[in-house]
Amino acid sequence: MAPRTCVLCENFKAILKRPKTGQQICKDCFFYVFETEVHNTITQSNLFAPGDRVAIGASGGKDSTVLAYVLKTLNERYNYGLNLFLLSIDEGITGYRDDSLETVKRNQQQYDMPLKILSYDELYGWTMDAIVSQVGRKNNCTFCGVFRRQALDRGAVMLNVDHIVTGHNADDIAETVLMNIMRGDIARLGRCTSICTQGEDTIKRSKPFKYAYEKEIVMYAYFKKLDYFSTECIYSPDAYRGHARTFLKDLEAARPSAIIDIIHSGEAFEVSEEVKATQKAQQTCKRCGYMSSNELCKACTLLEGLERGMAASGITDRARKKMEAEGPAPENLRTIPFFKLPTGQPAVAIEAPS
Amino acid sequence: MASESCGNPATDTDATMPRRPKFDRSKFCVKCKENTGNIVIRHAVYCKNCFMPLLTGKIRRNLEPFINEKGDGSRRRYLKASGNLLIGISGGLGSTVLLDLISRMYFPSQMESQKRTELLKGGTAHPRNEMVWQKAVVCYVEVCSAFPNMKDRTEDVRTLVKTYEQFEFTPLRLEDAFDRKWWAEVGGKPSPDLFVDPTNEALFLTQHDEDSSSSPVERLRSYLSALPTPTAIPSAIRMLVRLLLLYTAQSTNSSHLLLGANLTSLSISLISSISQGGGFTVKEEAQEEWTPKVAGNTPQTVRLLRPLQEIGLKECAFWAWWNELNVIGRDKFPGAKQGIGALTRDFIVGLERDYPSTVSTVARTCGKLAPKAGANGTCVLCDRSLQIGVQEWKARISIRSLSNSAPPPKTMNAALSDTLCYSCHTTLTSRSSKVRSLSNNLLPLPVWVHSYLKRSGLPEDSVDIAVQEELKESGGEIWERRKIDRSEMKGAISEFLLEE
Repeated sequence: MAPRTCVLCENFKAILKRPKTGQQICKDCFFYVFETEVHNTITQSNLFAPGDRVAIGASGGKDSTVLAYVLKTLNERYNYGLNLFLLSIDEGITGYRDDSLETVKRNQQQYDMPLKILSYDELYGWTMDAIVSQVGRKNNCTFCGVFRRQALDRGAVMLNVDHIVTGHNADDIAETVLMNIMRGDIARLGRCTSICTQGEDTIKRSKPFKYAYEKEIVMYAYFKKLDYFSTECIYSPDAYRGHARTFLKDLEAARPSAIIDIIHSGEAFEVSEEVKATQKAQQTCKRCGYMSSNELCKACTLLEGLERGMAASGITDRARKKMEAEGPAPENLRTIPFFKLPTGQPAVAIEAPS
Repeated sequence: MASESCGNPATDTDATMPRRPKFDRSKFCVKCKENTGNIVIRHAVYCKNCFMPLLTGKIRRNLEPFINEKGDGSRRRYLKASGNLLIGISGGLGSTVLLDLISRMYFPSQMESQKRTELLKGGTAHPRNEMVWQKAVVCYVEVCSAFPNMKDRTEDVRTLVKTYEQFEFTPLRLEDAFDRKWWAEVGGKPSPDLFVDPTNEALFLTQHDEDSSSSPVERLRSYLSALPTPTAIPSAIRMLVRLLLLYTAQSTNSSHLLLGANLTSLSISLISSISQGGGFTVKEEAQEEWTPKVAGNTPQTVRLLRPLQEIGLKECAFWAWWNELNVIGRDKFPGAKQGIGALTRDFIVGLERDYPSTVSTVARTCGKLAPKAGANGTCVLCDRSLQIGVQEWKARISIRSLSNSAPPPKTMNAALSDTLCYSCHTTLTSRSSKVRSLSNNLLPLPVWVHSYLKRSGLPEDSVDIAVQEELKESGGEIWERRKIDRSEMKGAISEFLLEE
């Protein structure tokens, strides 16, 4: 059979079938369309302004490795004028992050970007290993997820950046849309497809890979010869999310546009006005100053439970009531440092590439 | 571990797992607290006697606030619909149960109504005691012509409907959507046959003279065979059936169209619609108001409601079993198994087994959603709200050509893409990942598209060309219709171009 020609440039031999469109295209055209779509996403939503200090949430996995590479490329090609940083979180799981943190350190060298690694231990006084030894394997994802979100914001404050970008891809977002519908989480459903989230007292956070297919990110890394580590957590079989992911993969196999179609659906609807009126207003945590839906933010609630030896109090209502019945938190309880938005100067020394 | 057990669960109690109780508290009905329960509905036990009021209560809650043309606010008044009633029946479980319940609740047989009259307050002449709808028509759309070797069930459905003396029966066929005769019957203006080229995402409109003599069944089959994925076929059929029913509602002066979707099937259609890009109109999957746009008709708004939307599959099955209802059943569409609709069905039914409350959560969550932006008219194919900027969004998110000229070159043929909603455009153009030789067949459009196109502000001439063509055709002149490529365009204007 004669080799197929790229349907885009109609010049070179097609060497791949694009997962998103099914078109058979050449390597250069693939790089071009992948990067240009990310650029379109960035410019369409006015994500950056010249001079912005932007931290890339880097885990050493495929999404963040490719994100760092693409952002650096686009920053130079289109003169975004961004100062890019790498920000990594070390959850403290023995043997899990070691390799991926090495990848991040190598990225720091290759892309010439300053890096900050912030550990749960440093921030909360607890590693995930220590948390799992107290709470067991069942609910530890709650701790890790809540702690990671805050850790990124706090790391960003330390770096004095204006903006955090994460490697969430189209598959992640489509899956989250489905999950939020099935869980009835109307508040998250309303905001999960936004490219950028920013409250009054949080750091701007965005997802430039919002429309990039997971398969294409892998393909990009493969053809650009970028190395990364698969970062499946040893503590994390999340059954319910697993169901949704399998379902999404089936839909994608049936019709590849399904991922983008779900995101389009998610962007087309919003929570109706009558329901919005009944939603809770945002507050700030009275203990650590971070955004919260209750008097205490989730991280402080979880940490108090850990410190008082009643870890389940952050998970179930019954355990929380039990802890409240034992009286208020002791004076000498270890807490998270008070959260303040960036003031202009980095609060920590940043590891500059040597 | 060494054990002396022989492994027979009958003799060895430790060998069996303890059975999980099927219900939370006791085996007595939660409502009357006297009878032993007969059915467990999401952990609550009900007896057979309390089951009927439970079901009718749920139907009333979902139907009665929408019967009167204008809501009465908090004041409860008598129910009076502004038109007749149309019940769409598919032969499946849900619609069979719906037919039975609506007949019992709102159309009592003569004997029963005589008994009732004796008990009525204010006599039969009192407006409160009038029938809610004067007339009820049951409509069945037979889809067997779409596929070879599929059984025609019209007569089975006719026999079923005959058992309810108060209902009239109107059978339709799926190919009516491509039949000018049917279109004239429901009040549509005569229109030429329109076709689109499904191989181009812009979906250029055209008219193929050779095909204009083809029968409605042939046009239906070429419509379905030109669709690019197994997902698209059931979605297209659903859309055609919905519009056939809505037009029939309008032609029978019906103010309400009731469908038998239960909680489980509603959740399936919600997730399936969202997975096919239908988020903008997700609310309409549960309930919609439709005003026909056929010129010359007095517009009667039709309310499409799904009264069983709070009743699960299991409750419907119990109702049918206890009342010995004859469920005719439906054939599965060939190839549909690999489609998004069937995958969603498997997923939701499996989820309902493991996490029973998820199905109602899906329906309740989607009920809280509203479209984010205003609509720009309606889609010419499905007649649901049209979101602005769909094509620009698609072009930005997935680059499909290297040319920077965003709008396609103006050709003699108008493109249908801008007048389609996201879902319909995706149904017609989105391909499967498997390499499949694309059929070059043109895709015939349903009969209503022509009048919608005129209304939607597409350049009049692009549509009228087709009409003009028909006229020219009668004079024996043959017109050729083709797309103009850039080099030909450049050739036509080359003397006005400066050297680069």
